[in-house]
Amino acid sequence: MDQPSHISVILDLSPSQWHLSSLPQNPYPLSLKSFLAQVLAFLNLHIASKHENTLAIFGAFPGKSVMLYSSTDPASDSSDSGSPNIYRPFEIVDSRVVTRIEEELESIDDSQEEAPIGLVGALTKALCYINRIKHPTPSTQSNGTTVEDPATLPDPRILILSVSPDLSTSYIPIMNSIFSAQKLKIIIDVCKIYGPDTVFLEQAAHLTGGSYVYLERRDALLQHLVMSHLPSPALRKLMAVPTQDKIDFRAACFCHKNIVDVGFVCSVCLSIFCRPVAVCTTCRTKFPMSTLRRLDAYLPRAAKQANGTAKTSAPPTPTATGLPSTPR
Amino acid sequence: MPPRQADDYADESDSDIDILEDSGNRSKKGKGKAIDRSKKDKGKGKSSEQPYAWEASYTRSWDTVQEDEAGSLTTAVADLLARNRRRRLLAPADAIRRTIIRHLIIILDLSLSMLDRDMRPTRFDLSLEYAREFIVEWFDQNPLGQIGLVGMRAGLGERLSEMSGNPQDVLKAISERHRLEPAGEPSLQNAIEMARGSMGHLPTHSSREILIIFGSLTTVDPGNILETLERCVQDRIRVSVVALAAEMKVCREFCDKTGGQFGVAMNEGHFKDLLFELIPPPAQRALSRAAGAGANKPDADLMMMGFPVRLPDTSPPALCVCHSELKSEGFLCPRCSAKVCDVPTDCDICGLMIVSSPHLARSYHHLFPVKPYQAVTTLEEGSAFAKSCHACARSFPDAPLASSTATAEGMSPIGRYRCPDCQHDFCTECDVFIHDVVHCCPGCGK
Repeated sequence: MDQPSHISVILDLSPSQWHLSSLPQNPYPLSLKSFLAQVLAFLNLHIASKHENTLAIFGAFPGKSVMLYSSTDPASDSSDSGSPNIYRPFEIVDSRVVTRIEEELESIDDSQEEAPIGLVGALTKALCYINRIKHPTPSTQSNGTTVEDPATLPDPRILILSVSPDLSTSYIPIMNSIFSAQKLKIIIDVCKIYGPDTVFLEQAAHLTGGSYVYLERRDALLQHLVMSHLPSPALRKLMAVPTQDKIDFRAACFCHKNIVDVGFVCSVCLSIFCRPVAVCTTCRTKFPMSTLRRLDAYLPRAAKQANGTAKTSAPPTPTATGLPSTPR
Repeated sequence: MPPRQADDYADESDSDIDILEDSGNRSKKGKGKAIDRSKKDKGKGKSSEQPYAWEASYTRSWDTVQEDEAGSLTTAVADLLARNRRRRLLAPADAIRRTIIRHLIIILDLSLSMLDRDMRPTRFDLSLEYAREFIVEWFDQNPLGQIGLVGMRAGLGERLSEMSGNPQDVLKAISERHRLEPAGEPSLQNAIEMARGSMGHLPTHSSREILIIFGSLTTVDPGNILETLERCVQDRIRVSVVALAAEMKVCREFCDKTGGQFGVAMNEGHFKDLLFELIPPPAQRALSRAAGAGANKPDADLMMMGFPVRLPDTSPPALCVCHSELKSEGFLCPRCSAKVCDVPTDCDICGLMIVSSPHLARSYHHLFPVKPYQAVTTLEEGSAFAKSCHACARSFPDAPLASSTATAEGMSPIGRYRCPDCQHDFCTECDVFIHDVVHCCPGCGK
């Protein structure tokens, strides 16, 4: 009846963003430390709510991504007996995650600090991991893992706790990951803790049927996590989980990696450009001159920075779509 | 017409080469080509033992799987995996120019011969069922495409549904079985002319395709069908035929001349395979070859598209511009902020083509494929070896697998595959998963 569930949590651990987030001039400053305390409490709740529930935690660091913890890790029999007052699985998760994060943050040197965050790597790793637990192969079984009955395979989902802004260079890989999540029927939940809304993660949550929560009261992080991200997908149908009010379907252009709402699209390969180009950079298709001239007229004034007065009158009526170009 | 003839000769010699190559690797599985070959055999005389051409290429799936000495199937499975890997390595890396905006008209045979029961439950029911699956899958992979439906019944072509980009519209047209009840003889010419007529206005950069599911062995035509073929070649319409009964000369001619695919379904499963082979977008060079001299005509164009904002059903209701109905959910045109009900569409106010960007992004993995991983063959290369798979953290075996016989080309005996860019190691399962599903390397993140 009640299936066990699996969460792959992706923690966005960008040092600079967390520094900004903890500054006291924010309405609700949240430091990495208190964030971790609340997230660990949430993870413990997940483990405690059902014995078979499984967990994997991935960290996205500048320029790399690391698996911090997974329930199937074999080497959990550390020698230290631990405190008698804490439930043993909680302690393992907490100490593992904290020490791994410390190690990784230590190893980042100054040159790497500004590297783009490895969110894509973490996301694809989470997908591969879920693929692995969904299809237990003979090789894992011989390594001592228990043979799993397909009926008891956990319901997988991914929870992304994001603080970094959109990385437009990773548009295509993120979209590819979203489509593979759709294929595997994985729900992607997003909790945006700091910074502006990210267009790509909004789309990820929308396309996979997850929920996107923008945290306004950041002191209430734990409450948000428990209320909207703890219930398993099966339970969620019965509950009023917050949904997005608006989904932005914008895309990143291939040429300058700008996020655009009106773009120019190559008809052969569907590459998106933010301004008309003569030759498609992806498939080397040459576009007819007449089209370029026609499209130039549509460009917004800001991008054109020439005399844009001619087109303030009205939006042009002829279709700018794929009709054969007419010289004008 | 001297140029025409020259063209024909060129075609002839081409197909000869094909046949020669084919006889070289007869053991290969390639179904379509095998049919080609055996057809020639039959033409020469009664030397071949196979009574029917389409039975020649039939390979039993259980014959290809062999047990090893220990009686286990693991080596056979590993071998299949290796074959898949190698096929991927051999795949042309430059097949980047694929037509992505496709227009397809499916012509369904609704003649009496479709009531034959050689395919269960009947040819008719089976083709309807597969057509539905085909349409769903086709729209999944070709989100910007459009499908129309034409039926062949009682000597006429019958329009079942207009060209539409919405799978629900198309599926609705074939959902009511009683409206499609087979009757009379089919007419290929009428149906193809009708399909051709409805594709005349399409822009040149999109593909025009016709898929015929054909169960009969006859066609009743009002005129010369070869003229229709000429016109299809001129209009660059690619005709593909999946025949359920047997090969017909005119069908094969249509496919060969227009650059389409021809196949005769041998059983239910093969029928589905033949249909689903037509789903991935065709490479464009095939099209230009079929078009001959017209290939260097600019068939590409730059299109302006808008990516809308979707309003939730909790937003204040407003009138939509397409139906003038009061509703809350909808999409906002990014240029004129008009509200439309559904995407993809053209904005009714400013004419901008509005698409949702995930629709476009679905095809990007065709453009930027992940580089094939190299199999790591030995452990002693001096460099440090990761203990576990970089993607799923599964630990690698320390020693080579026991079945060292399975060291086929492209397979790693120790189950490690290395990305040429980021130099991380991945396990076999992740290698397959990354290349077939995710299309994004976890190490390099692109």
